[in-house]
Amino acid sequence: MDELLQALAQGLLVGSTYGMLALGMGLIYSVSGIVNFSHGDFVSLGMYLCFALFSAFALDPYVSLAITLPAMILIGALVYRYLIQPVAEAHSLMVVQLTLGIALALQNGILMIFGGQPHRVPSAVEAKLVMLGNVVMRMPHVVAFFASIALAVALFVILRSTDIGRAIRAVHQNARAAALMGVDVGRVKVLTFAVGIGLLAIAGALLAPGTPLMPSMGLRYTVITLLALVLGGMTNFLGIMLAGVVIGVSEALGMIYLSDTLGMLLPYAVFVLIVLFRPEGILGRSSA
Amino acid sequence: MNPNFYRTLRAPALWIGLLAVAVLPFVLPNYYLHIATLTLVYIALASAWNIVGGVAGQLSLAHSLFVGAGGMLASALLLKLGVNMWLGAILAAAASAALGAIIAWLDFRFRLGHLTFALITLAFAEMAEIVVIGWEFLGGASGLFLPKDTGQFSQMQFGGVQGAFWMMLSLAVVAIGANLVVLNAPLGYYLRSIRDNENAAQAIGVGLLGNKIKAMVISAVLTSFIGTAYARYLTFADPYLLASPVLTIEIVLFATVGGLGRAFGPALGALLLVPLGEVLRGKLGGVLPGLHYFIYGATVVAVIMLSPRGLLPLIQDLFSGKRKSATPTAPAKAH
Repeated sequence: MDELLQALAQGLLVGSTYGMLALGMGLIYSVSGIVNFSHGDFVSLGMYLCFALFSAFALDPYVSLAITLPAMILIGALVYRYLIQPVAEAHSLMVVQLTLGIALALQNGILMIFGGQPHRVPSAVEAKLVMLGNVVMRMPHVVAFFASIALAVALFVILRSTDIGRAIRAVHQNARAAALMGVDVGRVKVLTFAVGIGLLAIAGALLAPGTPLMPSMGLRYTVITLLALVLGGMTNFLGIMLAGVVIGVSEALGMIYLSDTLGMLLPYAVFVLIVLFRPEGILGRSSA
Repeated sequence: MNPNFYRTLRAPALWIGLLAVAVLPFVLPNYYLHIATLTLVYIALASAWNIVGGVAGQLSLAHSLFVGAGGMLASALLLKLGVNMWLGAILAAAASAALGAIIAWLDFRFRLGHLTFALITLAFAEMAEIVVIGWEFLGGASGLFLPKDTGQFSQMQFGGVQGAFWMMLSLAVVAIGANLVVLNAPLGYYLRSIRDNENAAQAIGVGLLGNKIKAMVISAVLTSFIGTAYARYLTFADPYLLASPVLTIEIVLFATVGGLGRAFGPALGALLLVPLGEVLRGKLGGVLPGLHYFIYGATVVAVIMLSPRGLLPLIQDLFSGKRKSATPTAPAKAH
């Protein structure tokens, strides 16, 4: 019983970060219709930026967000404006190959700069544990959980009741009509991509404490993000958050009750089944 | 068969070029011959992928599944059960064909779109890597060391890099030849109609399931066989190379750089990038690991921005001036 509760708690905490990764991608997809295969490599870029700031100035990853967040937003805006947008408008089917190319370049750019050996970014709260009955949770996971929930709520509020949020939703519903209403569609797309990548800076800072950094980890984050995105129904933001938790929990349960290999396979198996039999996602397709 | 097929086969340049490549083992020193052999492996892999990814326009990211089956399964059969490697290659190719047919069937049955197909095949590729690394029979995380190459062709041994070069050259010729045949046979026209508009193709009587399965099976069998020969040449079946989704990404990028859906396009991409990458890795691998992958990634980004149809059409346009090229139209059409 304790084992089950432990797995559920672990899955819930880790899964909420997966949900946030996927939320960034879902936001980009719902506005631009592109799926970014370099998403996970931007997560690892965020984490390596934390590492660089830690090695240079001994900054705590949570503190270094003050620098990495604006940096990643800027990088996101530039990448979308100068690389993705020209291709997305003329040859939409080539965006997959384009972002795969960006992924390969990012991953190996990181490898060239930081080397292939695993790095650690310690945080002041890293070793702290939170006890809840018999369930033990690591402090960084708890921080990541609450931060993800807070960010998801903030995103929801912004989309619901600010001008820029309304512009984003308008482009999502009908780009042509939005343009006629005076929304600068190109600018909204650049902005959402930048915000989506900015979310990854936050995710990177939340994931960094206690995770060994490897240049090759980007692809795994991309795949997990894609799993959560598709499970959640691509544009249903609540569904995406939930899907992240489903993946986190199935990973944690599989690790405990099945062998390591089967445990790692379980989320993929869940994904394949849901895509085949419920392609609209677990909650169905709807927008925020 | 389209008359273009025979015209291509009668082109003297083709045969002179092939002959020039075939005598390379007599002139190149071993190090460069090794790079040339690797180049041929990737030419063959990218060309085999092109039948599904280029001609049929199905962005499969599952091809590491077939390379992995060919490399790991045939090696495991040899080491664990003593199965002759040629027989192992055939068994692995049969397994790959079955897997390919299942993927094509899933695509048809659930009408997966372009993106969903890419995602599902990527999930399959990730699962395949986890299975290979977690399963002792297939070598687990440490891989499988094959017996020393003593040049017995009956055991699929090539007797050093010269023999391996000719083996890979034959595989590359078969893979490009398969592209030429498919492109000029009715199957190629069906596949291109499916690529351009699935519903319209079905409406004029092109069977979706049969043609998708044919394309996938041809591609999977070729890919699996190349995988077996590649593992045998390296004498080490490395799961992190042969069963890794990164291998598929490389293949897709080479094909994209060269020109999707053309018989010689993917070969051109691999021909340009693999030697460049390997020479850089040899010279700078110790100082800057990953430089060659970085260049692959940057090149594909640059090529997509400059010429989304790939380099081959660009070169053809340059050389033929205003003349319309006889090769098929570009796959990169927006919906």
